[in-house]
Amino acid sequence: MSATEATGAGVALPPPLTAEDAARSHDRSRVHHARAHSRRWRLLWLLVGPGILAMLGENDGPSMIAYASDGAQYGLGLFVPLIPILFGMAFVCQEMCMRVGAVTHRGYGELVLQRYGRVWGWFGAGDLTLTNLVTLVAEFVAIRVGLAYFHLGSGVAVALGLALVLFTLSGGRYWRWERIVLGLALFNGLFLVAAILVKPDIGTIASAFDFTPFPGGSFNTLLLLLASTIGATVTPWMIFFQQSASADKGMTPVDIRHGRYDTATGAVLASIFGLGALIAGAALLTRGGSAIQGFDGAGFPQALKQVAGGAAGTAFALGLVEAGAVAILTISASTAYAAGECVGVSHSFNSSPRNAAVFYVANIGSALVAAAVILIPGAPLLSIALNANVLATVLLPVSLIFMVMLANDKRLMGPWVNGRSTNTLGIAVIAFVGICGAAYGIDSFLQSVGLIGS
Amino acid sequence: MSARSRSTETTGRVPAIAERDVQRQERFEDELIMHLERDQFVEETSRPVARAELGIAVTSALWALRIFVVLVSLMVIYTFFHQLH
Repeated sequence: MSATEATGAGVALPPPLTAEDAARSHDRSRVHHARAHSRRWRLLWLLVGPGILAMLGENDGPSMIAYASDGAQYGLGLFVPLIPILFGMAFVCQEMCMRVGAVTHRGYGELVLQRYGRVWGWFGAGDLTLTNLVTLVAEFVAIRVGLAYFHLGSGVAVALGLALVLFTLSGGRYWRWERIVLGLALFNGLFLVAAILVKPDIGTIASAFDFTPFPGGSFNTLLLLLASTIGATVTPWMIFFQQSASADKGMTPVDIRHGRYDTATGAVLASIFGLGALIAGAALLTRGGSAIQGFDGAGFPQALKQVAGGAAGTAFALGLVEAGAVAILTISASTAYAAGECVGVSHSFNSSPRNAAVFYVANIGSALVAAAVILIPGAPLLSIALNANVLATVLLPVSLIFMVMLANDKRLMGPWVNGRSTNTLGIAVIAFVGICGAAYGIDSFLQSVGLIGS
Repeated sequence: MSARSRSTETTGRVPAIAERDVQRQERFEDELIMHLERDQFVEETSRPVARAELGIAVTSALWALRIFVVLVSLMVIYTFFHQLH
């Protein structure tokens, strides 16, 4: 119901209009105009954003290096069908986030905190802060790898990442932030360009869809690959980000259909670009690919240059810079949303830094801390980057369970609660993620303490 | 009645040109308000939602999962430091 509609005996007075409301209302006026004049493509253009950003943001530096590493070590089998399946799982989770955000106009962090208590809210925020900090460090490392191809160092990676965060925050509008990051995110397609440039055999790619068994290696390696590949497609920050961004964008239940298109488009694009990184990496399978350290030196871009030419190496290197940069922006934003929501203060790109100090400080602060870590001499960046996705997978099930609980909460969601099929899929995703993450964590620990052999 | 006119007291005579500006501003704010749903306003979203009642079984299951996840996370962190050495 719009703010000026009558309720009961008289006309309900609208609440006072804040600057944040005014900015959001401007964006909504364009949506209403497009809908009223049946301008379908314009409407889609206005409503896409959070879904594509969550999915392409998760095609981040560590994920793309992980896909390339999978291809270089094991070839295309198993992973070609696995990546689209995992993004299908991501769609199930992210659609719920979008729907809850559009119906309640509130972020995930504040809903968990208010609805289920402060303990669960702060646990969620703690998980997010830990995984986000580790992942942000890995993003800066990925940018450094991409830039190393052009003979540029860590200092440039840090300056680039921080400059982007400050630039995108400078406008004081959600719409501006979203469009800039969306424009950058489309360059994730550089991984597809790299895949085309290595001239892959189409028949080999098609035959990989026959669910080839795991190509070799130990049980622990299989678990690590599964855990890190899951962590490359569904993570806690995506849940916080998409729900909060959908609310910040001003989406309403009327927009849910377009929100689904947005999320599905993001999943399809992320899946295609992820396969691009895998295929590019697979070009190195018989050329010493398993020996490449993805997070060290110029890693895969340099190796691709030697095998497939400078253009392939350049596309992959620029892709890594883009993937890291976009993820820094979206992951910092998810930290900022969570901080503002849990503290209970203004948390919107539509608010000014003066009115939303916690939001802006958390956004810039999280990027600053991660940037500082990669400048520490001798910091174990390689290990941090390798473990970022695994840690996210291990902590994910709790966030997902609260997501399913929120999406089933009739009092919050009314007629937009989960259907039976969504619940079945959601629970299957939680079980799969939980089992893979826990199996890897326990198996690795038992090996570390010498209770089982490797 | 507009949001502006509710919050502003009019005192004394206002010059005609200033009154037109005020009316234009009021119309502008009214139009803006029309594009938001009532529960989208900052004032509405800053009100907390009611606390849900979780049964003992659900609460116990959530705590069990939380403890399990923390234990597995500690295992991953231990393995991380073990691999460093």
